[in-house]
Amino acid sequence: MTQPPRPPRSAAPAIELRGITKRYGRVVACDGVDLAVRRGEIHGLLGENGAGKSTLMKVLSGLVRPDSGVILRDGVPVDVADPHVAAGIGVAMVHQHFSLVGALTVWENVVLGEGREGRDRCDGGLAPAGGQGAHKGWLAGARGRHGQGRGRLRRDEACADVVRVGERYGITVDPLARVDSLSAGQRQRVEIIKCLRRDPDVIVLDEPTSVLSLAESRDLFAVLRRAVTGDGAARDGAVTGDGDLPAKAVVLISHKLAEILGATDRVTVLRRGRVVTRRATADTDAATLAREMVGREVSLGEEAAALGLTPPILSTGAARDGAAVLEVAGVTVGAPSGVPLLESFTLGLRAGEIVGLYGVEGNGQSALGDVLAGLVVPDRGEVRVAGEAVDLRRPGALHAAGVGVIPEDRHRSGVVLDMSVADNLVMTDLGPVSGRLLVSRRRQLRHAAELAERFAISCPSLDAPLRTLSGGNQQRVVLARELAGSPAVLVAAQPTRGLDVGAIEGMYGELRAAAARGVAVLLVSTELEEVMALSHRIAVISAGRVVGELDPAEADAERLGLLVGGAVGDHAATASALVSGRASTVQAGATGDGR
Amino acid sequence: MILDDGATILSSAIRLAAPLGFAACGEYLAERAGTMNISIEGMMITGAFTAVAAASATGSATLGLLAGAIAGLVIGAVHGNASHRLAVNTFVVGLTLNVLALGATSFFNESMDLTGHQVAQVSIPVLRDIPLVGEPLFVQRWPVYLLLGLIPLTWYLVERTRWGLELRAVGENPQGADVTGIRVNIRRRQALLWCGLFSGLGGAHLAVGAVGSFNDNMTAGRGYLVIAAVIFGAWRLRGTILGVALFGLADAMRLALPAVGVKLNSQLLIAAPYLLALAAMVLVVRRTRQPAALGKPFTRGIV
Ligand SMILES: Nc1ncnc2c1ncn2[C@@H]1O[C@H](COP(=O)(O)OP(=O)(O)OP(=O)(O)O)[C@@H](O)[C@H]1O
Ligand SMILES: [Mg+2]
Repeated sequence: MTQPPRPPRSAAPAIELRGITKRYGRVVACDGVDLAVRRGEIHGLLGENGAGKSTLMKVLSGLVRPDSGVILRDGVPVDVADPHVAAGIGVAMVHQHFSLVGALTVWENVVLGEGREGRDRCDGGLAPAGGQGAHKGWLAGARGRHGQGRGRLRRDEACADVVRVGERYGITVDPLARVDSLSAGQRQRVEIIKCLRRDPDVIVLDEPTSVLSLAESRDLFAVLRRAVTGDGAARDGAVTGDGDLPAKAVVLISHKLAEILGATDRVTVLRRGRVVTRRATADTDAATLAREMVGREVSLGEEAAALGLTPPILSTGAARDGAAVLEVAGVTVGAPSGVPLLESFTLGLRAGEIVGLYGVEGNGQSALGDVLAGLVVPDRGEVRVAGEAVDLRRPGALHAAGVGVIPEDRHRSGVVLDMSVADNLVMTDLGPVSGRLLVSRRRQLRHAAELAERFAISCPSLDAPLRTLSGGNQQRVVLARELAGSPAVLVAAQPTRGLDVGAIEGMYGELRAAAARGVAVLLVSTELEEVMALSHRIAVISAGRVVGELDPAEADAERLGLLVGGAVGDHAATASALVSGRASTVQAGATGDGR
Repeated sequence: MILDDGATILSSAIRLAAPLGFAACGEYLAERAGTMNISIEGMMITGAFTAVAAASATGSATLGLLAGAIAGLVIGAVHGNASHRLAVNTFVVGLTLNVLALGATSFFNESMDLTGHQVAQVSIPVLRDIPLVGEPLFVQRWPVYLLLGLIPLTWYLVERTRWGLELRAVGENPQGADVTGIRVNIRRRQALLWCGLFSGLGGAHLAVGAVGSFNDNMTAGRGYLVIAAVIFGAWRLRGTILGVALFGLADAMRLALPAVGVKLNSQLLIAAPYLLALAAMVLVVRRTRQPAALGKPFTRGIV
């Protein structure tokens, strides 16, 4: 294959957006945004929920056509008409909500959709305006850069490749697993491997860390750093026969200020679709960023703690001696793989207390959430609300008994994306807004408007489909609905995931207020600071059971770490097993190549 | 005697199942890509009529077969373009096409003078003398053997090629497939074209292969039976083909039993394949593996 014409390694930024404007009806999602990202830099993109971050990045990846503005790639204007063109010019995006196909395996997902684009990249990857490059690639060659041609799938090659890319960047995942069976954190890794395997020049990550644990996030940033410094790429050179691949450029969206401060080189802050600041990360600090994001002073108190900025602040007020409202007794949920997801899980909640269930992602929290949401019927054990056992086989029984659930994965079980905001707000509880037979539309809208106001949900209108709201606002809809149902028990799974600083402030206030009203709150969280800030009592979950309970006063990071330790130990074991397994796979791959 | 009856029933079962088999491969492809293709009935009947008309005009049943396949392809193209580019609901398009095809074929059949043609029969010496299965398997019209090649080809396309992987992705998670750079609606239209080609061939085989002439509404709901077969097979090719075989057998019984002297309500027997499909759906419903986006139109939106 001929050497592609090298793009000029001039001072031109890898990617530059100029004057991007995008309107949705009356909402201006992006308003003349300029953004330049240079090679070798990780660029942080900050902003409140609904500030237009995702929209801007969707413009860059061809999912949204801007009303005006241009995109320059290495100084050359390009017309990113659709995602194929974006792929053709070396832009890859990891979306805020997963874009993997659950019914397929990891390797199938990783090779998905790259047949043609792989070849374009061999052709130099620069599509001039109009995206002709994409067509040049079509005619050009027989096989993509990783040997996956258009025709037949080569499973073994693809699997070896998944392992190899994972190895290079330090991410492990089993290529033969079905994506359905993976935890959120593992899926995120698959997304990232999929993205990196295409060897893009510009990587966009939209809130990649919202489902990751602290350690996982750190690993991710290390991977990104290797990618932008050209470390991984240089080693990749041996494989692609291409000596000096230029360093990559990364755009990172996150609400966690500490991450932005720690992982990025420069930051851009958006507010209501406009750029408010643009500067080197070293020249700023958390308080400034928070103020610029929200447009007012934010009390960087415990919210800051939850964002990992300041040391944890302990919640005050001891646990009350109310009667037990929710009792989960000996609940066991089996998994198809054999290892139970929950094993004799037992936990009690009294009225008016917040119990924090802390643990590393993937230790049974999702299963517990599913049981309490009535989605999964446990194999053994029972759930009692106010002393009475609930028939878990009856749909809606838990809800009727007064258990409100803010589910962990809001897209899967929280909302109906194509129904209106108002419908979603009243969906689970039509009592107050309906007569015997009919739903009163007027009352529904009034009720919805109240909720939207109280929870500061920003949406074009209450009739707009939920799909059109920003990620964080979709989440607020679920929170609002569940809190408004005046439940006796509130299960909040990762309630601040994806919320901005101001919204976290509000969320914490709502949870505390609920507890003060006598609601028993179960806070399921992987954020240590969040658990410490809110809980009256902390329970630690590991491998599907409660391994210990602590008073927040006597809890500190170390002790909790030790308790989670069971899990940590397990993880270490799994990790080493994976590593050795990986080694053997790689060997197998090597002999396969030799044949 | 019993062997003879058995051979006759098996023979006609294969003959009756073959048109369904072609169409089932097509419907399977379309459904894996996420399109519940109702217009398969229209594709089959148009294929059948075009095949007879073309055979009558050219004198060659083989050319008729080809023409039938192409007619199916055209319906597939119309269906795809109407439901994707004009954004008409795919079920509405399908039903409309079915009614149109039925009316048009009956009309032309009446106004044209068609002579019957039938494709050649293959009869393999020695093997055909095997008791019971010899005649059913080795004395058939040649397109039946074409079908035997088409089934593994379909499987290979879906399970082993990149195109097939993209097809499955499109049927499961079109939004996700879109952001990974797959042209969702193009893949779906391609699947519809295959479906049209195969179903047209199925209809053509019914007319110029199995029967040798065209009569009004000759497919008589076989298209819907094919849809049932795909559901019966839980969206896997092996199960689908098994369903087709069962339906063929039930149909053969319907024809053969009275001849052997068994008295059974023929109305009930006509309904048998459908009852079978219904029973199967009830039984397999728990482990059903329906493509998650089956029947849902795709438009690009927030993901
Ligand atoms: N398809 C659409 N139709 C109508 N309005 C939309 C659409 N997509 C986005 N919007 C609006 O544009 C604004 C910006 O949304 P965007 O998703 O870019 O926010 P964001 O910065 O990513 O927020 P978050 O942090 O909550 O994810 C929001 O007010 C949203 O309601
Ligand atoms: Mg967003």
